[in-house]
Formats: sequence, C-alpha cells, structure tokens
Amino acid sequence: MRRALRTTTALITAGALALSGALASCSSSSADRSGVLRVWAGESTPFNDNFNPFSPDAVFATFGAIYEPLFFYNQLSSDPPTGMIGQSFEINGDGTVITVKIKPDLQWSDGQPLTADDVAFTFGYGPNKSPQMVSATAPDATTVVLTYNAPQFTAESLILGSTTIIPKHVWSSITDYASQTNEKPVGSGPYVLDSFSDAAYTIKANPKFRDGEPAVKEVQYLALDANQSGQDLLTTDKLDWSGQFIANPDSVTAGGRIGTANFQQDPTVIMACSNADLGCKGPQTDPAVRQAINLLLDRDEIAKKAFAGLTAKGNPAFLLLPRDQQWLADPATGESPQSPNIAAAQKVLEDAGYAKGSDGIYAKDGVPLDMTIVSPDGWTDYNDADKLISEQAAAAGIRIEARTVSDAEYYTPASTGDYQLMLWGLTQSLVADPYSNYHEYFASSGTAEVGTAPPSGQNFARYSNPEVDAAVTAAAATQDVAAKQAAYATVQQHIAADLPYIPVVVNASQAFFDTKDFTGWPSVEDPYADPLPYLSTASGVVLAHLKPVQK
Amino acid sequence: MAFYLRRTAFYAVTVWAAVSLNFLLPRLLPGDPAAIMIGKLRRASGGRPLSPEVIASINAVLGPPKGTSLWEQYLIYWGRLLHGDLGISSTRYPARVVDLIAAALPWTVVLVGTATVLSFVLGIVAGAWVGWRRGTWLDHLVPVTTVLQSIPYFWLALVLVAVLAVQLGMFPIVGGYDVFDFPAGPEASWAFLVSAFTHAILPAVTIVISSVGGWLLGMRNMMVATMSEDYVVTAQAKGLRPSRVRSRYAARNAAIPSLAGFGIALGFVVAGSIVTEQVFSYPGVGRLMIQAVSGLDYSLMQGVFLVITLTVLAANFVMDLLYGLIDPRVRTHA
Repeated sequence: MRRALRTTTALITAGALALSGALASCSSSSADRSGVLRVWAGESTPFNDNFNPFSPDAVFATFGAIYEPLFFYNQLSSDPPTGMIGQSFEINGDGTVITVKIKPDLQWSDGQPLTADDVAFTFGYGPNKSPQMVSATAPDATTVVLTYNAPQFTAESLILGSTTIIPKHVWSSITDYASQTNEKPVGSGPYVLDSFSDAAYTIKANPKFRDGEPAVKEVQYLALDANQSGQDLLTTDKLDWSGQFIANPDSVTAGGRIGTANFQQDPTVIMACSNADLGCKGPQTDPAVRQAINLLLDRDEIAKKAFAGLTAKGNPAFLLLPRDQQWLADPATGESPQSPNIAAAQKVLEDAGYAKGSDGIYAKDGVPLDMTIVSPDGWTDYNDADKLISEQAAAAGIRIEARTVSDAEYYTPASTGDYQLMLWGLTQSLVADPYSNYHEYFASSGTAEVGTAPPSGQNFARYSNPEVDAAVTAAAATQDVAAKQAAYATVQQHIAADLPYIPVVVNASQAFFDTKDFTGWPSVEDPYADPLPYLSTASGVVLAHLKPVQK
Repeated sequence: MAFYLRRTAFYAVTVWAAVSLNFLLPRLLPGDPAAIMIGKLRRASGGRPLSPEVIASINAVLGPPKGTSLWEQYLIYWGRLLHGDLGISSTRYPARVVDLIAAALPWTVVLVGTATVLSFVLGIVAGAWVGWRRGTWLDHLVPVTTVLQSIPYFWLALVLVAVLAVQLGMFPIVGGYDVFDFPAGPEASWAFLVSAFTHAILPAVTIVISSVGGWLLGMRNMMVATMSEDYVVTAQAKGLRPSRVRSRYAARNAAIPSLAGFGIALGFVVAGSIVTEQVFSYPGVGRLMIQAVSGLDYSLMQGVFLVITLTVLAANFVMDLLYGLIDPRVRTHA
C-alpha cells in the first residue's frame, strides 16, 4: 500500500510548485505544538482502532512504541542486539535451548509487574507457539528457558527480536487472538495510548517505562492518503517525522527544519521465472539469457532516471554491504556492474548458441529472445525502470516488452509463477547474516511448481539448485563463522552465475524528521536505529531517544 | 396513478436484480478472502504456522459456508442484508463493513452532495443568463468553464493545494477536520463544525470548478433553443416583462433535460469523488472503495457497491416521479 502511494504526483507537483513559486511565498509560522511530535508512518485513512500485536491490521504504534520484543536487532549494523525487556541471552551448543535473562523490576503500563512468567506465557501463546517448541518455562522471576527439538540458530532474531511480549494477566483469558482489537493496550514500551480517532491517534509517555518517562511527552500519528500531502505537511511545519518517497528531497529540507536520512537496504531486482523443470516458459529460463541481461543493463541510467538517484548499488550476492562484509566470499560479487557491457552480453549469447536474426534480435532454434517484463500500474519508478530496461535490452538485441498491470495481476502471477520477467522487490535480512535472504528466495523449500503458490518462502523465481539447498541447510545448523562462510560462498557462487534474480538497484528508504524542535535522530555517524516511522521496534527505539529542544 | 405503480414495480425488480448481481459478482471473481487473511496473519507472525483453531475461526467469518449450496448462500445473504449485516472487512479485520461505511458516508454525502448541488445551481443560473444574453461577451463564460472542466481533476486539485493551502496558507491541506485541535475525533461542538467547514471549502471548490462547465454549457444551449420556441415568442409578443419570460417560460422548460442529469449526478454522490478524497485525505466512501479493490476485500467492495447501487436507483426513482410531476407528457406517453 505504501508503495502504491508514491504515485504519479511527483512530476505534476514539480509543475505546481513552479507555478506557485511565482506567487509571493508567505511563510507560515511554526504553530505552537507544545512539544507534540507528529508522525506519518505511511498509514492511510481511516485508522483501524486495533492495537492487537497479533493482527496484521493493527496501527503501527503497536509495534515498538506500545509493545516490545525482548531485544532490539538494529538492521543497520552488525553489532549484537541491545536489550529491551531482555538483559542477556545464551544459546546452547546445538541451538535447542535459549536461556534469556530479563531486566529486573519491570512493570506493565497498568502497574502490574512484568516477570519471566509473562515472557514464558508469550512464547506458548497463539501464533508464537512454534511446532518445534518443547517448552517455555520461567524458573525464576528474571529467567526464561525456551526449549526446542531442533536448532534455532536461524530463528534467533525472530524469537528474540520479533516476538512481541504480552502481559499474561490480560491475554490469558483471550483465546481468539486473531479477531481481538485490543483497544486499550497494556504494554511495556515507552508510550501508552492516549486518544484515538479514525483520522489520528495520540500516544503519551509511559511513566512506568523502565528507563523513565521518555522526553517527548506526546506523539500523534496521522493518516494520509497521498504522498504529496505528507510532503506538503512537512514543508508547512505541520509534520515532524515521515518515511516516504520524495523525488526532490531538497525542496523539503531547504527550510532548515527538516533533516533526512536514506539507509537503502531492500534490493529491487528483475525476477525471472527461471526454472523450466517447474513449468516456467520463455527464453528467460536459459541462464545465458539472464547473464546477458545482467551485463547489458545500464544501472547508472536506471538509478538516475527512474529512481531519482536515491538508490544504492546492488550486488549479486544479495548482501547488505558494508554490514554483511564478513560474509562476502568473492569481491567480484560485491557489486553489480553499473555501466553496460553490450559486447560481453552478446558474447554470452553467442557462446550459448544464439545468433542475431535479420530483425536484429538474437534467436536460437528459430525462437527469438522476446520476453515481457511487468510492473504494477502507477508505481512510476518501476514503470520507468521497465521502460529503460526494455530500451537497453533492445540495443543489445533482446526484445523485452515493458507492460504495466493491476496490483492483482502482479502479486498473484508472481506467487503462481505465471510470468516471464517482473520488476520485484526483495526484503533484506534484518540481521547481519544473509541466511533469511538465501532461505526465503533461493532455497527449493520456498518454491513450487508453476500454477501453485509456494506453501512457505518466497522463491517465486522457481530457482532450484541442490547445491544451494545443501549449503543453506548446512548454514542453518551451525554457529561457526568459518563453516557458515564456506556455506554462503557456495550459495553466492551459484546465485551470482544463475541469476534467478538480476539485481537492479537497492531501494531508497527516505526518512524526513524535524531536527529543529527535536534532537537525537539517528544519523550516518550514529545509526542506532533505522529512522523510518513504519518499522516495528526501531520506531519505538527512535522515539525513546528523542529530546525536545528547549526554547 | 398507473404511472406511479408501473415505475415502483419497475424499480422493485431492478433493486432485486442489482442486489442479486452484487451477491454473484464476488463469487465469480478469483481469490478467497479467508485465504488472503490467513496469508496476512502468517506473514505477520514471521512465517510460523497458525493453529487450526485460528484458521477455523477465520474461515467461519470470512470463508464460504461449508456444505451449503449457492441457493442457500443466496438466502443467507438476503437474510443478513435485511438485518443490515454486510459482513466483516478482510483488509480491516475484524471491523464490520456497516461501521466502516457508516463512518465514511456522512463526510462524502455532505461534501460531494453540497458541491454537486452548488455546481448544478451555479451552472443552471449562469447558463440561463448566458443563454438569454446570447451573442454578448457573456458567451465567453462557456469556453472558460469548459476549459476548467477539461483540466484533469487531480492536477487542478494539486495546483490549488500547492498555491492556496501550502504557499498562501489560506486553507488546510488535508483531512475532514483539524486532527491537531481534535485529536479524539469528531465532537458535537461549534468549533468542530467550523473546523469541518473550513476543511471542506477547498475540496468542494475544486469539485465545483471542475464540474460547473457541463451544466452551464447544457443549460445555455437549451436556453437558446427554447427561446426560439413559439410560446416564448408569443409571451414576448404579449408584452410580458423580460424577466418573467426568461424565468417562467424559457428557463423553466430549458432546465428539464439538465434536471434528469442532476438526478443521476445526485445518485453518484455516495460513490464519492475518489480523486478528491485521495488528494485531500478526506475520510469518504471513495477511499474505502479504492482500498477494498486494491486489497481484494470482497465484503467491503460488496457493501460499498450495494450502497452506491441503491442510492443511484433511489435517486433515479425520485427523479422519475418528479419528472412526471414537472412534465405531464411523461405520464401519458409512458
């Protein structure tokens, strides 16, 4: 949804601003907001009155500001996680027992004590109940022991960093957790709910918070339906924090009040239905064709023209560099080529038996290289990138038709494999370990025959390689760095050559925040959390760090 | 009397057909709301499997009732409908569709309704005047307003927001009321009404600007045509005052075709102005419709479409009856 909001308005607004610039600009004075921080986390009207941490439709302040996990895993760094409710943890040698020490003397926002009992209850509750779990017990008030029947090395951040801890005295009487709306949330985070309406809701400082009441006393979340509205509110001093795409960030930051950050993480790729054995049809099932596309791309031009130059460079190892530097086996896979090499691309094709036809398009056995790449209508950056890819491919002798489709014609065919090429977004691993990337997008366990959706995982490229599968399984069973490096080296070698996903750019993730009235925002020098207001946990960490500027 | 009976019967059949179609359409579309919701829940829980109880409870609320024929489902659908139950939204689970529509409808009806009436009255009055004074400089109003109408609506709205709201700060930028002054939502106070009114001005103005041209053009041309009718010439020959000829003889007859269009326009008021609501983050029905369609939320879609269909039919019904009253020829020829 948030993606879809970055609509067609950018260029039009440029025109509108030029027009309005001709008029005398009458600067609106900063309204008296008495220290209230106003946030747009990308949510659209109307807000759901839903603070249920188990609901996918809960409002965003639920995750981080009101409820917390045990530890905070900063996706921008490779440092160990910092304690929230948790103080420290230990995983035994075979990865089946996790022992967590929680901080002493904690309280829920309603004044009840928060003990290891609540934590143990949480791990045995509802969707947290893993089929691999044997038991969750609390031997004393600050110790929790989680026992599993299989190694949990790869699930560490899910268990410790993404499981929202809930109060037993509230939830023990709730059986149907999915249909709860939890309108009066009792949490452990820095904020509690103050007031709610379907256009805005306000959270206020939690006096029972373990580190003391946060310095910013009130935070108001707004619901907006258009990116342009967010930009307008930022420029008119009515909004203090938002995470949204703005093609010309200078227009917002020029006033001096708003600062910006852009920690790119999620790769945008050309996803290919790559596996003929699983039913994929089209020239893209030949690795040589994908390698040729990889070589002919002018990524520099795509980044500048389609993504406003706000993206970072991708790599075929699908690591977030420099965070994941220790896992990079071959420096050659550390960055995708930024300028095209058409001669090399054509050589790959010719070596694979393709020859240029009279129409200038390569063909093999009478079948020309003619494919379709799709992106959702209205995602202007994706649509533009597809057009550029189409032009660049044509220059090298490959026909790629760029087509825009509705959202439904994008997501469903992606999962069922009914496509040839798609411009697609992958989600970067949240911890400094690429395991989840490899397991989610490249392992056979995450794929299915064309026509059916994968039961788990998102290997929509239908990539299947026994050596990659074996290496991913090996990496999951160990905590030994050298063994993991060896396993990842195998994965990287294969996926960089087979290219089921051809890296294009790493997506911009722009944040804008009021540096005049509030201090303590994350920066390149101190990236203690990603400053995007829609992120779980990280947004609560940022809020607790902020301080209003005394005037 | 027979005329009114015939019309009533006709509309009763149409309502039945529309409501039945509304039942059938989502069932013909691919996709299962329960499966979508279960997928969302699974992603929210980090890919861990859901317990069978949860899956069962979601299937019970969102899925097709097990072991019932289409005919039985149809009867259940009517039963629920007559009790005012439109189901549970899957994009805003577990919110009730009725509540979502009830919260959005007043905003849309007041904003788009007022703007539509305003636009119609302005267009008709100005059109009658321009038609009456045809051939003078007033004729320039026609191209001016039609050009305004032909500007893409969202562009016009964005320019007006950028200039009047952002640069000059004359109007609020977004929302149906000031969420900073009223963080707890709408309340029954004078200050709130004022806030809601100021927030409605700019969206309403954009709707009026972009729609008045059509009414004006239609009315002006009908006016010119009517003025060459024998009864107008006769009225003038009788020496009636020009203002009387204009309003009672020419304008009254010239407005009849526009009135029919107005009926239809009023019916579509509840559909909201999707783009207006998007640009201004206005809390209306149009927004719900976009979200329902993009999120494949079938119950919400069904609910919104049902409300729109019924209002369009109701508006047409009322206009039909009024038409019979205004123009006796309709009654006898029908």
